[in-house]
Amino acid sequence: MSTAILAARNLSKSFGPNQVLSDIEFEVHPGTAVALCGENGAGKSTLIKLMTGVYQPSSGHIEFCEKTVNWRTPSEGIRAGVAVVHQEFSTLSALSVAENIFLEALPRNWLGLIDRKKLRENTLALLTSLEIQLDPDQIVGELSVAQAQMVEIAKALRTSAKVLILDEPSAVLSQQETAHLFKIINSLRSKGLAVVYVSHRLDEIFEICTDIAVIKDGVVTSAGAIKEYDHQKIISAMVGRELGDIFPDKAKYPTDEVVLELKQLRNSSFDHAIDLTLGRGEILGIAGLVGSGRTELAQSIYGAKAASGKVFLEGVELAKRTPSKCLAAGIAMLTEGRKTDGLFGNSSVAHNYISSTICKGANSLSIAPELAAKRSAKVVAQFNVVVDDLGLPISHLSGGNQQKILLGRLLENQPKVLILDEPTRGVDVGAKAEIYRHLRELADQGLSILVISSELIEVVGLCDRVCVMRDGEMVATLAADQISEDRIMSIAASEDAPQVDETAVLQLAGGIA
Amino acid sequence: MINTNQQSSSAWLGNLARAVRFETMHWVIIGLIFAVFALGSFGSERFATLTNIFNVQDQLVALAIIALAQTLVILSGGIDLSFAGLLGLLCVFFAGFNAQDGETLALAFAATLALGAFLGAINGAITAFIGVHPFIVTLGTSTILTGLALLHSSQPGGSVALFFEDVAYARLGGVPYGFIFVVLLYIFTAFMLWRSNFGIRLYAIGNNEAAAKVSGVPVKQTKVLVYMLSGLLASLAAIYMVGRFGVGDPRAGVGFDLRSITPVIVGGTLLAGGFGGVLGTALAVILLSLLANALNLMNVSSFYQWIIEGVIIICAVSVLVGRSKK
Amino acid sequence: MKALLNNSLLPMMRTQTVAGSQRRELILLSLFLVLIWGVTAMLSPRFLSIDNLTDILVQAAPLGFVVLGQMLVIVVRGLDLSVASIMATAAVLSIGANDSTISIVLLALAVGAIVGGVNGYLVAYRGVTPFLATLATMIVLQGIRFAYTKGAPGGSLPETFRWMATGSIGGIPVSLIVLAVVAVGIYWLLMRTKFGYQLRLFGDNPQSAYMTGAPVRKIQVIVFVLSGVLAALAGLFLVGYVGIVDNWTGQGYELDSIAAAVIGGAALRGGKGSVAGVLLATLILVSLFNIVVILGLSVEFQLVIKGLLIVLAAAVYLSKSRD
Repeated sequence: MSTAILAARNLSKSFGPNQVLSDIEFEVHPGTAVALCGENGAGKSTLIKLMTGVYQPSSGHIEFCEKTVNWRTPSEGIRAGVAVVHQEFSTLSALSVAENIFLEALPRNWLGLIDRKKLRENTLALLTSLEIQLDPDQIVGELSVAQAQMVEIAKALRTSAKVLILDEPSAVLSQQETAHLFKIINSLRSKGLAVVYVSHRLDEIFEICTDIAVIKDGVVTSAGAIKEYDHQKIISAMVGRELGDIFPDKAKYPTDEVVLELKQLRNSSFDHAIDLTLGRGEILGIAGLVGSGRTELAQSIYGAKAASGKVFLEGVELAKRTPSKCLAAGIAMLTEGRKTDGLFGNSSVAHNYISSTICKGANSLSIAPELAAKRSAKVVAQFNVVVDDLGLPISHLSGGNQQKILLGRLLENQPKVLILDEPTRGVDVGAKAEIYRHLRELADQGLSILVISSELIEVVGLCDRVCVMRDGEMVATLAADQISEDRIMSIAASEDAPQVDETAVLQLAGGIA
Repeated sequence: MINTNQQSSSAWLGNLARAVRFETMHWVIIGLIFAVFALGSFGSERFATLTNIFNVQDQLVALAIIALAQTLVILSGGIDLSFAGLLGLLCVFFAGFNAQDGETLALAFAATLALGAFLGAINGAITAFIGVHPFIVTLGTSTILTGLALLHSSQPGGSVALFFEDVAYARLGGVPYGFIFVVLLYIFTAFMLWRSNFGIRLYAIGNNEAAAKVSGVPVKQTKVLVYMLSGLLASLAAIYMVGRFGVGDPRAGVGFDLRSITPVIVGGTLLAGGFGGVLGTALAVILLSLLANALNLMNVSSFYQWIIEGVIIICAVSVLVGRSKK
Repeated sequence: MKALLNNSLLPMMRTQTVAGSQRRELILLSLFLVLIWGVTAMLSPRFLSIDNLTDILVQAAPLGFVVLGQMLVIVVRGLDLSVASIMATAAVLSIGANDSTISIVLLALAVGAIVGGVNGYLVAYRGVTPFLATLATMIVLQGIRFAYTKGAPGGSLPETFRWMATGSIGGIPVSLIVLAVVAVGIYWLLMRTKFGYQLRLFGDNPQSAYMTGAPVRKIQVIVFVLSGVLAALAGLFLVGYVGIVDNWTGQGYELDSIAAAVIGGAALRGGKGSVAGVLLATLILVSLFNIVVILGLSVEFQLVIKGLLIVLAAAVYLSKSRD
């Protein structure tokens, strides 16, 4: 067979004490499409960044065209011929398609001026060769997300790239658009391009890829030609760990009281209406792939996003929800991106802790400056937060400790329902165990918890029931014995998952009256 | 639909519209210009005469040039508030040459242009390389330059050759040179925004600086360059103003900083950058100056004109808010 | 001495806590002020006399009021360019007819509040950037004011205002007493009330503030109203101090107040503000102006120094925040 055009050899990467990748062997050959599979946090994006010059290896090396390379910046990788299309693309919405594609590589005439005619011709030529139907002069801001992605892909391929890495490209595409994308990929492959396709949508992988490599916890657990695999084999390679001691026992005091109920909740991101119930003292997991609509669901419940349908808290309808209303009513939410809308990065740890309950414990006239520190000292002890001084900006803390502070903040509101979106993202194992233990204690005391998570092991280990979302639809609800990583992944990743009882089993452990 | 490469006349027109970034909004401004015209003709018989129109445009040559500079800076996502001090200093500087003959005049020209570009480059360098917000930097330099200008001469002083003054007042077939110059300048700038790499980079940086950087755009250098251009244009305006007044007035720039922003915003260029262009600014300058002129001729006091100007800004911005939410 | 240094001063200087950094900035600002005063005193011994120092404080008082309001606006990531216009409007109202002082004051403050309310509405409810919103209101207000006074305000300034700005009670200037009361009030508001906490958190991260239930729109409106009221107050004091009323009273105060706020530690990116810091910065600016005069330099030199200081301060704060 042909030799690998891009390869990782004995590749390891750590960030401080955190070992993210260990001794990775990975290669991609011209004319093939390698699927790169793994859970969130398995190490896929780190591997990509190492292969494109964004990061440098801690040990091991990258080979390009069989020669060891030491790229220090992304542009070196691009120049060499490795093109990447990330999930969050960086198109410039004010510029046209042609201008985006050929930015910093615009054809010029002898005066140094841009040759607009040539630009248009070149763009059309490129687009035609990729079978993309777009007007080169259209402003990208007016295009749909799928079309903008096409522009990104065309841009990545404007120089004769030899390797194209696509990071979860179909997350934003409809079925038709995905089919079109696949057509393009196949045609490129036949011309010798090597493709790395990062995804955990199993159906697609089987459709478009020739090979596969599965990463779990920073190591390659399995690799080979796709024809030697089936759904099951892939899933087993991706998941399936010993639960170990990090998860506490499940619900001890089953109850049939419904605390939160969603009826026909619908919004632009998940256009199938969703019904859901959450019992008192229950931990309900919402699993699904990135882009399945889980965060939007949470935001709709919390009032951060507009939605039609109804939400009932303890039987009372919450209409015209806003975060402040929900908080007052008893629903608290931990957001997915703590940097964007969770933390107050430049403010102190103590201030972050009290930020949703500022007045608590203060007399009517003024809030003593030491009050925040006093109150947050409690959480430090309780959650085992590692912090030198509560007056430090919270940006100084590790992700895990930040998350603990944020959780503590929520609990200060004494909510009835907690919505947690990726609660242990960026949190080390030890901290995770603590958080799980605490969550279970809270649930046993009557708190109802909704957990959105992309970490299957967490969903399986922590939750009493699991709802699975796929493409904006709640497709299954699993209870008790039905909950397993394999089953969840199967449902989340593909349409024709076998043997799942799709008639939602709405039985709480113990049964509904 | 993919256009073929046929150059039909409509395709050419379409190209032109794209090149100047023509938008529906500009129709609104054009409509308003007609409305003002109607208003003015109705309100005063002196309004619709050519002499009047050219008078108006004539007086606003300096503002038009500064508004052009401001457009470029705002497009790149920045802002230039240094014109008050910059213009004052440049006027004093240029007039200080007391250029009476062609040679000295040429020297004065060159030196003033160089100084303007240099000072602009400093603005750009501080904001691009040190990272201080352009609002603060240009505010600071404006203050410093005003101080320097006033230190040099607290009263208008200096002089310039009479024949130059004549040029500043002269007309070509009834159309003032200044007006012609500004029109050509705008056309040239619009052309360069469309056909130069620099132009594309400006829009890219203003639109999404991080994405531009990732795509290889030399952000820092481009920023320095745009502020340098702004300073250069300020020099042109200063030279013109000295030509008109005959002296260099250290206070010549007062008000230009904020006044230059109005036509840019009303013309549709977003303060955040990335969207808009010189066509909008040109139309807005015409609209605002015609409006002021019409109101003047109708004896509406400038006080009410201020009210109207403020309201126009609010309306323009409120209407445009939707646009930026992409 | 060494113990003092090691146990309290040095740790204070090295600290990375939010409160600690602010304290450090205050110390630096104070040292700078002491330096300026020291240098001036060496050049002109008269400088350190109580009378002279008091004069400087009284001179700085109007700016102080405006700066406090501007600081609040900057904390919530805004800017208020309309303050000078509000000051002038308040000034112009003060020479109106024979109304009692109280009603004039209330009227002026009401005007400030209304303009501030309009600013706040435009920013919070219509999504207009503060720069443009306050620029527009500044111009509109200007037009209204000139139209109202027909270009030249007539009438005489009630004695009360002159007294307010230049008189004293028990040896302490009235304007300083009022400024002190206001400053304490703003400090309490910003640091000891729920509203103040929400202000600072909003400035740090508006999204997070929204998600934690803060009334983000109301907050912005109230802040602009406060800025307007303080500007009106400043206008009354300024006009009392200067003794002359014209339509351009307070010209330049908008940019000066932003400068003082930034030098005083209120970062343009929001979330940070210190009453002591901005007042120190105001004093620094005014003291620098005084040095220029004492040194016999022309008044315009003040401008050069002010400009340099602005850019320098911004650059310094920027480099510190990068540590």
